[in-house]
Amino acid sequence: MPTLPAMTTNHIQRRAPAVEVRDLRKSYGAVEAVKGVSFEVAPGEVFCLLGPNGAGKTTTVEILEGYRTRTGGDALVLGMDPAHGERELRERVGIVLQQCGVQADLTVAELIEMYGRYHVRSRPVDEVIELVELTEKRDVRARQLSGGQRRRLDLALALVGEPDLIFLDEPTTGFDPAARRQAWSTIRSLCDLGKTVFLTTHYMDEAQHLASRVAVMNAGQIIAIGRPDELAGRDVRPAEIRFTLPAGWSLGDLPAVPSRSRSLDGDRVLVLTTEPVLAAHRITSWALERQIELGHFSVSQPTLEDIYLELTGSSAPNQVPEEVAR
Amino acid sequence: MSSVLTASLRRDLGLVAWQIRYEQRSYWRNRGRGVFTFVFPLMFLVIFASIDKGAHISSRGGIPYDDFFVPGILAYAVIATTYVNMAIGTAILRDAGVLKRMQGTPLPRWAYVAARIGSTILIVAAITALTLGLGAVVWGVHVRGSTLPAVILTLALGTAAFTTLGIGITRFISSAESAPVIVNLTVLPLTFISNVWFPATGLPKALTDVANFFPIRPLADALQYAFDPRTTGAGLKGHDLQTLAIWTVVGIVMMVRFLRRPLGEQG
Repeated sequence: MPTLPAMTTNHIQRRAPAVEVRDLRKSYGAVEAVKGVSFEVAPGEVFCLLGPNGAGKTTTVEILEGYRTRTGGDALVLGMDPAHGERELRERVGIVLQQCGVQADLTVAELIEMYGRYHVRSRPVDEVIELVELTEKRDVRARQLSGGQRRRLDLALALVGEPDLIFLDEPTTGFDPAARRQAWSTIRSLCDLGKTVFLTTHYMDEAQHLASRVAVMNAGQIIAIGRPDELAGRDVRPAEIRFTLPAGWSLGDLPAVPSRSRSLDGDRVLVLTTEPVLAAHRITSWALERQIELGHFSVSQPTLEDIYLELTGSSAPNQVPEEVAR
Repeated sequence: MSSVLTASLRRDLGLVAWQIRYEQRSYWRNRGRGVFTFVFPLMFLVIFASIDKGAHISSRGGIPYDDFFVPGILAYAVIATTYVNMAIGTAILRDAGVLKRMQGTPLPRWAYVAARIGSTILIVAAITALTLGLGAVVWGVHVRGSTLPAVILTLALGTAAFTTLGIGITRFISSAESAPVIVNLTVLPLTFISNVWFPATGLPKALTDVANFFPIRPLADALQYAFDPRTTGAGLKGHDLQTLAIWTVVGIVMMVRFLRRPLGEQG
């Protein structure tokens, strides 16, 4: 029976994408906020739309949620066109909007029960309360909750209808570090439940922690897309070796190492290399033989933040010579 | 196919009933909202009654003033509960993002609107019972059996017109902060020429025409006609009811136009 497992695998691989976007466009008068965006989100993945404020993230996500109408291109969410506003789509999608109010005079439990009723199938109220860790606030009115608790209530209201796909628009903006960690663990537990998560954020660490794939959006366009550790060739980028040279030594005294570039800024040396192990070994051996103390010695791979800042042009260009942005 | 449709419609009507309960719970818990609806009309009732104790209205054949102001203030109470509450409440819900959140749920929009209207009708029933109960016990103003159907029909039409107008006017209210201003500007001046507080006799013709054009005076007049001791028969004032019916149509059109706008595109 060797064919059966193969067929099953094929079947899984052919599952329709949770979200499919082709050349999506949105104009407000003469201003084009979204300029031809294309991507797919696979079922069960955490897809993150990353970008600075005003990049067009919220416009994109609100088109997918059915709150805005697109002016061009195609969009399919769970196989349905979000512009049609079908009820079945709203049954299967959970939405956490930025700053969105609730009926503030109802309690946490009442609100979760109320929003649960709108769905054909829903999760038991107390199970949802436990999942978002609001057990102690169960019978407190929404208007009395703190900002972080309100955000967790938002998540609860998006989850109570057992959605297949959850949109989270900047879910941790305004959180303190502890609350963010807590929110991240809740979001990760959604993936364990098999949900697809569509996340927008402008926090790098959030994307790094949560996303299986990241799309960087800037000025209405997607400028890079990939796994967070591979984004824009991050994994094959040269590593940076940094240290300071004591007085009397210059760049020319260093041994030959495989490197893209080496530079000296005052007494600080920066070596860019695709073979960091070999290069670091040569440099440190050279220093040990001559009993030279190399200060602040470090080897690092570019962080997601470095890549992001470079892609979105938010920082001065680094000394990286090659073109990386797609 | 039709049985499937019926089942889903039955489920939606069940959802409307549930939503009315949640709207009611929300409403009665919020003390601020009760001021316009309950405190104001009842306060005016007591104030006017104590000012004009035992007075009679010569322009209306000497009927007791009590028989005029109880239905007059009932008209005001209906407007406060429906138009004022609905417009301010909807503007607040819109600004807070509640309408947007509701739009993202499977609850059909019509079901949500129906529940909010249903909840408003319950509040109208409560304030009507309170006003008329007080009127009967304290000032001896009774609803007569013969004109009761007319009172109910007038209240129903008034509620329909002012509720739909209240939702529809939200389109012209830019923010929740400006809502009370716009709402009171469209109501209060008209009440002084509309037989709500006192008989609007001796008004210039232009002002009378204005008052007759808008729905406040027809509502007050129709209610007062049913309470007037001189009225014989069913107490139905056809022309006023017709005006209220026309404003109901206007209200429905305005309401539908407001509800059709995609919320994400607003603001």
